[in-house]
Amino acid sequence: MSNGAGGPSGIITRTYKSGSIIYFEGDKSEYIYILKAGKVFLTTIKLDTGEEYKEEVRQGEFFGVKSALGKYPREDTAQTVGNTTVLVLTPADFERLVLKNANVVKKMLRVFSNQLRRIVKMERSVLGETEIVNPDAELFKIGEYYYKAGVVKHAQYAYKRYMEYYPDGEKAALAMKRIRGIDAGEPAPPDIGGHDAGPAPAPPKQAEADFSFDEPDQSKEKDMIDFDDSTHEDEAPVPSRSASGGTSLSSEMDDFFADTKAPALDDFDADVTMSDSPRDLNDAADTSFGRGNYPMALEMYQKIISLNRTASPEEKKLYEKAHFDAGRCYIEMGKPKEALDLMSKVLRNFTGSPYLKPAIFHIGMIFESVNQKEKAITYYNKVLNMSPKDKLNSDALTKIKQLQGK
Amino acid sequence: MAMALDERFFEKFGVEYAPNEIIFCEWEPGNEFYFIQSGNVRIVKFIQNREKNLSVLTDGDVFGEMAILEEQPRSATAIAIDHVKLLKFHRDNFDTLMAGNPQLAFKLLVIFSKRIYDAKRRLMILLLEEPQLKVMDVLVMLAEQDPHLDLQNEITLQVTAQDVARWAGLTEDDAQKELTHLSRTDKIEMFGDKIVVKKIREFQRLVASRRKSMYQ
Repeated sequence: MSNGAGGPSGIITRTYKSGSIIYFEGDKSEYIYILKAGKVFLTTIKLDTGEEYKEEVRQGEFFGVKSALGKYPREDTAQTVGNTTVLVLTPADFERLVLKNANVVKKMLRVFSNQLRRIVKMERSVLGETEIVNPDAELFKIGEYYYKAGVVKHAQYAYKRYMEYYPDGEKAALAMKRIRGIDAGEPAPPDIGGHDAGPAPAPPKQAEADFSFDEPDQSKEKDMIDFDDSTHEDEAPVPSRSASGGTSLSSEMDDFFADTKAPALDDFDADVTMSDSPRDLNDAADTSFGRGNYPMALEMYQKIISLNRTASPEEKKLYEKAHFDAGRCYIEMGKPKEALDLMSKVLRNFTGSPYLKPAIFHIGMIFESVNQKEKAITYYNKVLNMSPKDKLNSDALTKIKQLQGK
Repeated sequence: MAMALDERFFEKFGVEYAPNEIIFCEWEPGNEFYFIQSGNVRIVKFIQNREKNLSVLTDGDVFGEMAILEEQPRSATAIAIDHVKLLKFHRDNFDTLMAGNPQLAFKLLVIFSKRIYDAKRRLMILLLEEPQLKVMDVLVMLAEQDPHLDLQNEITLQVTAQDVARWAGLTEDDAQKELTHLSRTDKIEMFGDKIVVKKIREFQRLVASRRKSMYQ
């Protein structure tokens, strides 16, 4: 196997004296580097605090990847310490090199997508207050837009999706009426704004009245007890994520993974160092979870639980979240019994928690995973009837349909 | 980048759309991402209750890739322009798919590199404090995104006040107020669907120096 760095012809080796700049922040360049010998430090300015942030590249690691591939200016400055040798790759070299090992691209992709997820999350939280929208209402609006514009085929699509995902939604009756109208070939009325006073089908509010899941009831407790894991546990599907893969990589390629962590995580880095703040622990745990490292994530969520800090609302939320996410870790690790234990704690102890509904949904999933269909359906049903209606409700409906063999 | 995907692959993941058919709609839940084998796809978004074209994608392009990251509603609508052949992949198949198709994975890597930069760039605007600077930085960002512009001279950006408001995270009124101010001081000229910036370098310098001093 011609492994990576040393191999392919045409790749240039370059040597720098100590203190040299390989590139400056803001430079435009298509080159990607691999550190062969010596030391390189990458310096970035953190977006949110303006702090300078230094990161050491380890030997065998790539750097300058994202800006080269994305064709944008460097976001960091790369400087050498001591005599240093690097390999210089064009994007084409880089592509040839990494295509030889799918695992490299895959893992790099996971790191990139985690970064993107974090940035997008931060963007949303900055926009936060102004961006509260209901996907269901917006989806319906699109249907109305097309309907008004006479593009009935597109309107039909939006209405049908609406009915599929939000069958109990506020606009369900109207959407249904529109779908029937379009099917019957009725032209769109010139003014559809106000009048739909006609005898519309079932009032959409009905679902609210049926809402009866106000406190963790006894039947749940019973479920916990007669959840028969001894016979079913073996059948529980072990998540087949091959996150551990990567056996035959050359050491150079192996090191590279560390790299995608290093220069890549620049701005908002969640260093996986252990800290005692629930918040830091939580960030690190989320990152591990995102990378598919469930045992590591679990350890950190459990640490948050053991800290037992609930004084401030934020700490309380993290404490509740840790229970829920630790449960998810167990699910991913194929340990339904432990998962159920944690999810039911959320149910019993955190009545008003935002994690209550997701926890109930996950209990459904756990029962589903051990083939206890009826119980799974019971829990999905509870989710289905909970307000406010959101995507979880429609997911629950989908699950119920699947389980009922439809 | 030409991709050699065999026929069996299409049998398993292939989907076809007729001209003008919706592939997915903004706000519906998204669990799949798509790879265009042939044809053209229009990406549109509803802004101020108007359909606005974001881009046209063609053979070899990928769309809907945000679905790989998390369960979020679609942020735009995809509509087939002509007869379109797509490969459709569910988030859950992601790992297996990537293992078998390093080229596709590489392509996504390039896309994500770009997205990360774009998202960071947008975030930089939002983190500025004064609305005036936010608006300036939106214009700077848009200017940077177009490699054909000569930033030393007067430039024309195809952008409306609503667009600016959206990028800057401001209400339309606030954005309009700032734009009017810039226009009154002769820094820009406003037209319905475009904005002419006299000296974009000046905005660039201003924003950069303010950004530096923000943390001191």
